[in-house]
Parts: sequence; C-alpha cells; structure tokens
Amino acid sequence: MSGKVAVLIFPGTNSEEESLRLARDVGMDAQLVHWSRSAALANFDAYVLPGGFAYEDRIRAGAVPAHDPMMDAVIEGAQRGKLVLGICNGAQILLEAGLVPGTGPIRKPTAAFTHNAPVPKFVCKHVHVKLAIDPARCAITASLAKDAVIPAWAAHGQGRLAATDDHLEEIEAGGHVAFVYAHADGSVDAAANPNGSAIGCAALTNGAGNVLAIMPHPERDAWNFNHPDSRGPGDILAPSGGVALFASFARALR
Amino acid sequence: MRNFAVNGLTDEALHAAASRAGLALRVDELRRIAERLGRDPSVVEVHAFDAQWSEHCSYKSSRHLLRALPIDGPTVMQGPAEDAGILHLGEWNGERYGVVIAHESHNHPSQVVPFEGAATGVGGIVRDVLCMGAEVIAIADPLRFGRVENPDSHQRYVAQGAVDGIGAYGNAIGVPNIAGDVYFDDRFDDNCLVNVVALGLIKESEIIHSAAPPHSEGWDIVLVGKATDTSGFGGAAFSSVTLDDADADANRGAVQVPDPFLKNVIMRASYRVFAYLREHKITAGFKDLGAGGIMGCSAEICSSGGFGAIIDLDDVNTALENMPPEVIAIGETQERLCWVLPPDATAAVLSIYNQEFSLPEIARGARAVVIGAVQKQMHYVLRHGDEIVMDVPIDFLTGSIRDELAVHERAVPPDLDPAKRYVEGDRAASELLERVLGHRDVCSRAPLYKQYDSVVRGTTVIARGAADAGVIAPVHGSPLGVALSVGGNPRYGRIDARAAAVLAVAESVRKVVAVGARPLGLTDCLNFGNPQNPDHYTELVVAIDGLAEAARALGTPYVSGNVSLYNESKNGNAIPASPIVACVGGLQDVAKVVTAPFKRAGSVLYYIGDASNAIGGSVLAELLDVRDAPLPPVDLVRARAENDVLSKAIEAGAVNAARAVCGGGLLAAVAEMAFATLHSNAIGAQLDDPCAWTQGEVGDAEALFGEAGGFVVEAADQAAFEAMCADLPFVHEIGVTIDQPVLAIDEDAFSLRTLHDAWAKPLTEVYA
Repeated sequence: MSGKVAVLIFPGTNSEEESLRLARDVGMDAQLVHWSRSAALANFDAYVLPGGFAYEDRIRAGAVPAHDPMMDAVIEGAQRGKLVLGICNGAQILLEAGLVPGTGPIRKPTAAFTHNAPVPKFVCKHVHVKLAIDPARCAITASLAKDAVIPAWAAHGQGRLAATDDHLEEIEAGGHVAFVYAHADGSVDAAANPNGSAIGCAALTNGAGNVLAIMPHPERDAWNFNHPDSRGPGDILAPSGGVALFASFARALR
Repeated sequence: MRNFAVNGLTDEALHAAASRAGLALRVDELRRIAERLGRDPSVVEVHAFDAQWSEHCSYKSSRHLLRALPIDGPTVMQGPAEDAGILHLGEWNGERYGVVIAHESHNHPSQVVPFEGAATGVGGIVRDVLCMGAEVIAIADPLRFGRVENPDSHQRYVAQGAVDGIGAYGNAIGVPNIAGDVYFDDRFDDNCLVNVVALGLIKESEIIHSAAPPHSEGWDIVLVGKATDTSGFGGAAFSSVTLDDADADANRGAVQVPDPFLKNVIMRASYRVFAYLREHKITAGFKDLGAGGIMGCSAEICSSGGFGAIIDLDDVNTALENMPPEVIAIGETQERLCWVLPPDATAAVLSIYNQEFSLPEIARGARAVVIGAVQKQMHYVLRHGDEIVMDVPIDFLTGSIRDELAVHERAVPPDLDPAKRYVEGDRAASELLERVLGHRDVCSRAPLYKQYDSVVRGTTVIARGAADAGVIAPVHGSPLGVALSVGGNPRYGRIDARAAAVLAVAESVRKVVAVGARPLGLTDCLNFGNPQNPDHYTELVVAIDGLAEAARALGTPYVSGNVSLYNESKNGNAIPASPIVACVGGLQDVAKVVTAPFKRAGSVLYYIGDASNAIGGSVLAELLDVRDAPLPPVDLVRARAENDVLSKAIEAGAVNAARAVCGGGLLAAVAEMAFATLHSNAIGAQLDDPCAWTQGEVGDAEALFGEAGGFVVEAADQAAFEAMCADLPFVHEIGVTIDQPVLAIDEDAFSLRTLHDAWAKPLTEVYA
C-alpha cells in the first residue's frame, strides 16, 4: 500500500481539520474528500471518517450517511481489506453501515452507538481508553503496546454501545471490542465510562481487523497543550498520547 | 406601489395606523420620512425604516454615548466599525495574526422561544466573525436566568432550553465553547439574557471588509444561504419593544428558525470561497444578514462603501410563493450572508456554494444567487415585479439618527463607609462555607457546560471550567495562544450601574490574566431596561462612563460591542443594569499557561489583593441579608499593578496555579482550586487565620467571603514570587497547600469531599 488516505466530509462533518492535521503530522498522505467528489474515493488506500453530525444525526447518529453514495466506496474498500478508521460520528456511521462489528450483513447493523445513559444528553469529558485486544488483532492498533492506554476526549450525545444480549455476547466473544473506557492508570470500572456503554466499549473492530470505530476523539488529545495540567516535562507543542493510535495507523499503511 | 398614508393624518390617526401595521416607528419619525421623501412612503419603505431606525440597527439612544469608549491602542488591528473588531495576537512565520471578536445578545427571542432563540444567537454571532474572512475558532456564552427552583416554571424552561439551544447549535457547527458564565436572579424572571461571544482567527493580509470595495460600481450583490421565508419578520423592531406575556404568541413569528446543519456547510463553503478569492487576488465585500434582512445588509454594505444599490426581489430564492415584498426585503431568515463581487468572480463563487457544496441539495431552496448590483447613484432601490417598491436616499436610510432622551441627575450614593464592619460579630467560616459554595451563583457550572463541546477543532488548551478563562492554540505549530473570559455580576448592577460596569471590566481582564495571558482588548454587551424610562436610561449613561474609565485605566480598548435595551416586561419588571464584558487575552508562548487546580503539596499560597469590609453585592451579603454595605472599592491603578505583577510572575515561571477572586470570595476560589484535584492525588490547603494577613482590620467572614477582587496564587518558587511582588503592597501570604483532601482555616478543618458535594450538587437537578 502506498498510503493515500481520504478524510471524508459528509454534510455536517465538523472534525475534519483536526483529523487531517494529525494524519499528516504522523506522515500520512492524507487529503479531504468532499461529498460532491465521492467518485474520487476509489483511488484511495485508506479512509478516515471524522466526527460531526452528518445529515444532522437524523433517525439515529450515522444512520443516514451509512446509506450515502460516499459509503459505497468505503464499504467496497473495507471488504477488500483497505484500512478504515471512524471517529465519533465516523464510528457511528461505520456501525450503522454494518462494517463493525461485522456480525451481520452490510447496512443491517446488529448494534448501535445510541443515546448516552443514564442521562441522555451530550457530554464533553476527558477520558482514557485501554486497548482490549491483542494489538495485532486489528491492523490499525498493531503497533501499539499490549494494554496501551490512550488519552482522548469524549464529546457526543450518542456513544453508548447497545445491542441485544445475544449480539453483545457475539461481539465480546468475537474479540470485536477493541478499546474499553479506563482510568489513566489503566484500571477499568464504571466510573471511567462516560456514557453507559455496554461492556465499557469505546471502540469496535471487525472480524478481519481492518476497520476500527472509536467513539472518543484521540485526535483532540494530540499535543501536550491539549491537557496542560497533566503534561509531563517537555515541549507543549510536542505530540501527546492521542497521537499513538494515528501513528500506529500510519505504520500499518507503510 | 402600495403607500402608507402619513400626510393628512392627525397624530392620533397616524399613531393608530402605525400600531395596526406593527411598526415601532413613532409619529415624528414617520413624518420625518415623509418630509424627506417628499411623499407618503410605500409600505415596503416604512417597514425598511422601521427596522433600520430601530434601536437594534441604529443605536439611536446609545450611539452617541458609545463614542466615549476607548477604541484605540497598539493591540487594535481593526476597531468597532464593521460586524466584528480585530485584535493583534502576534506574528508567526512572517504573518501578522489577528483575533476577530464579536458580541451579541439574543435576549428577547430566548425569553419567548428559548431553544431557537439561543441557538439563533450563536448563529448570528458566528456569521459576524465569519464575514470578516475569518475562521471561527471559539465561542462563549454569558447567561442570566430567573429563578429556576420551580421545575414547572417558565423560568426553568427558559434556563434549560437556552442552554440546550446553545449546545445543539455550537456543537453542530463545530466551534468549541470555551468560556461563559451564568447567574440566577429573580430580576431575570421576565427577561433572560442570552449573550454570545465569538472569536475568529485571521491573517492581517486576508481581512475582508463589510463594505462595497472602491470602484465597485456595477458589481454583483450575491445572497447566500437559506431560502428567505416569513420567519423573523419584524425581528429588529421586536427587539426594541418590551415583552408582554400576552404578546408572546404573536412574537413567536419574529423569532428566526436556526439550522446549524446548513450553517456548518455554509461556513465551510465560505472558507473555500475565501481561499479562492485569495488565490486570485480578488477584493470583495462580505456581510452577515442580521437585523433588517436583505434590505439592512445590502443597504449597509453599499452605503458604507459610498454607493447605492438596486436589488431585484424577484431574484431572491424564497421558501414560499407570493411573499409580500416587505417580508422578502426585511424578514430576518437565518443562515444568510451577502457578497459584493466583481462580475468576473461571480460564477466561480456561485459554483462553490451551489455545486461543490451543493447548497440546494442540503436544504430546500438554499443557494447562492445574484440579487442586484452596486450603483453609483446614492439611492437604495428595490424592484418587485414591474414596480419600484422602494427608492430612498441610502444615507438617509442607514445614517445615524438620535433620540434625545431624558437622563436623571445621578442620585448621590448613600454615604457608606467601606472601612466599617457590616457583618455582626465573628461569623465563623464553618457556619458559612458550605452555604457560600452551594449558592446558586457560586456552585459548579459543570452540569450546564458539559453539554457544550469545548474541544472540537483540537486546539483547546484550557477547556471550559478548568480555569477562569478558556484558552486555545489556534495557529497550528505555533506557540500563540488566545484566552477568552467574560464578566458582569448582576448583583452589582442592582446596586450601582456605574460600579457594575467598572467591576465587569476589571473582572474579565483579571480572568485572562489569571491564566497567564496579556489582555488585548474588550467587547461589551449592554443589557438594560427601557431607555424611555429615565431611570434605566440613566443607568445606561453611567454604565458606559464606567466601562470607559475602567478600560482606559487597564489599557484595554473595545473593538466591538452590542446594545440590548428594552429588557423590561409590560408589568414593569426590568432587568438590573447588566453590562457584560468579554476580554481577549494573548499568550506568546502557550506553554506558560496557568490553570486553577493546585499542582503540588507544600507550596505557599498568596492573595494578591486587598480584602475589605465592603461586601455590598456579594454572595455573603445576600446570605446574611446585609443590604446597606457598599460595593468593593475598585482602585484601577492598583488593579493594573496587580495584573502586571501576576503576568510577570507567570511568565517567569514562578506560579503553579492561579484563580481570580470573584463570586464567593477568596475561600471559594481556594476551594475550587482544590476540588479540581479530587479525581487524582487530592491536594488541600491549610490557611492562616485571616487576622494574620489583614492585621485584624477586616472581619474574618468579610476577608474570606468578600468579593474584593485580586487573585489566589500557588507559588512555584516562593523566593522568586516574593521578589517580583516586592513593590506591591497588597500581596499576602495566606497559607500552604497540603497533601490531604482537607480545607483548613487556622484550626478548623473541612473535608474537601463534603465541600465538593455541596458545591457540585445544586445545578444537577436543572441540568441533569
């Protein structure tokens, strides 16, 4: 793979700049691709679906854009093994498209990232996520350390993984839960979970491990200045923990 | 064309006709229009003048007063002449960067339809910043609500709906909300205040002006955005009347309908247009459609360039068939902007909006379309069908008009002695601490602002709530930082409008200093009652005087602002004088930023400031029902010296944490610095008996809970900090940080967890 990355913009996307900036900073050959240029998507090797409110989150977050022509190329690419990363609204779109957890037919989702609980409101909160799979299980996480803990910002109204008990079991047993919410020290409990997500799930991967859907935003914790109180020594403009996931993604493309 | 009869009618008949037509214009104004035109005005013309001569557009009772405000200084890149002002942030890679700032109120609509009203407030202010050619980088929301204790009250509905609206809109367009404040006070029961501040980032070489450029005769006037509908007709005039419950339903039609989804696309399409114009070195004019709709915007953009305009209303994309020309021309439909473009650039710009960003597919009827042309003749002309429905001298329409209103002699404030003790006996901190921390104006605002996306764009350095001001690093790869804070305590406004203004300026400036930023400049929103009432007009007059004096003394010019009058219901309830000030600060090195949480145990704590017994307007005074105490004396020379010393100490690395002393006083500031550490390694504080540092001249309760300003500072380096403060008489060592979750005052110790719960809880019910 040569590593040409498309950062998709749906009507309502709002996190394309920070996603593009970070993708380029870790060495990816990334560019924005707008909904009116969807024909160009086939020429890319990987896709990033950034956060926002595509099509105003009508029906359910991600449900309408999952059926957008933009997604035809992404679905086809994913099925051929191209790497796909969805963040926040992008994660919701991947899930609604059925690309993750990949336990059902395409565009027939078996789970949803839906309204937060117990309070069904938007929440903006600094969080940490912990790698819950063998790093090599997913191509995008392959260069992370085992049990890696990554800082990120949760900023969503619909981030709670929900599915039937049977499906949840299938998702867990299939190793689809890529990240869980955790504390900075890696410990995991209900207090670390900002939205009531089932099994503390913060991110899902598909069976083949080439698609990753993550709810919180690692790209908003990309430089030390993003969290001035907990920064270590060193340059405030230097990369921080959130870069790790994008760096691992970039490495998988080389 | 349909005429509105003026000539030949008696004053009474004319007044009645104006009321029937829903006009806010007075009889003398209608006669002045007819006289200048030499004929009866058309229906379209009277509605145009009604909007354009409303307080909202013309500032007729405030413009001459606002001239007193300082607007110049080394930090001013562009003063208050256009939709937004610009402050100089710094240089990076050979470019001079400016911070665009604008401030707006959406009080009346938010009281009637809170969600839409508040959302529209965000939408409008974002357009003001966008149309300078800037990237929109942050917003802040100063809010004033009524009593929210009753879950079934309209006041609770307003307080919840306005916050939901601000969150829904700001989150959707992807602009981080990094600052703001909220007060709850019965004087806002009938009139909430929803003010919004927006910041933009721009290179000096890329500023776009809100005027038709030189030699633009014959250029295209292009309308961009949502199809014009009947929403928001009469909006400007609506904001210039008092609210009455009985009118609420009738007024709903004057509220615009926000569409953040469309705005998101228009913003991004406009960024693309900016890039296209820069690439081809094309000069253009760009302006937000605000009060007065198409008419107000196109008339102002052309007249400020020294031109007239001719607009064909038939070319406007409308949501309905057969809309009356006055509604097309003057209605304030949201999400619209106006370009003045050289004809050879028009096709490309239309294509960016209509094809590349496919506006017509995003929202029904939305598009960019040519609606008219700039003309040399200084007339404003509207065509509709085969008729000319408006043809007036453009400067008469947009020029300044002035109301001569009565001002009362300012009452001499009662002779209150700031040195006197106003709290009887020695009220112990133990009795008051939880009550102060749980007071509705002190308690945690997190339940409210956690609904706002504070970190979208990935530039946030200090998110909402982590310090007195929000901070972002908007220029990728550069160490430049921008701080934003707001100030304005309505408890002061109830007592003394002038002092409230002075204190609002001092507070907003202090808050950006506390995070390590140098104050660059201010923007103000003047929320007052009905100017026809001499009491309220006097409040406005003296408040502007206070705003001017404080800004001069602190070296912070105003580059933009807004006036919201008539915040009064017909049963006579008016808001307290509410001058609200936002301050922009700049950091040359964002690494030097300082936040509020304590950083380590064993650091020495200082109070920079002068505690006094003057507790008027404080939370303490309210809790103890002390009514006759004077407001804290503000020595602006001293305040500036304190600000300078803290700035230098932060730049020198001598400060670990800092917080401005505001509502709830010194002890509330210390408690909040400790609360933020509770989630990890808790750091508490051991404070000395206040007697030790006030020399016993100030009562304990007044020293700990008085709101005399200044800062609480955790020193990083005691010797260095003390050396920097050597020349400042008002720096007191007040205690030390400790490695226990305890706040101790002399021998009394309080559990931080217990105090935190009292502080965290009160607003959770309202904003759960």
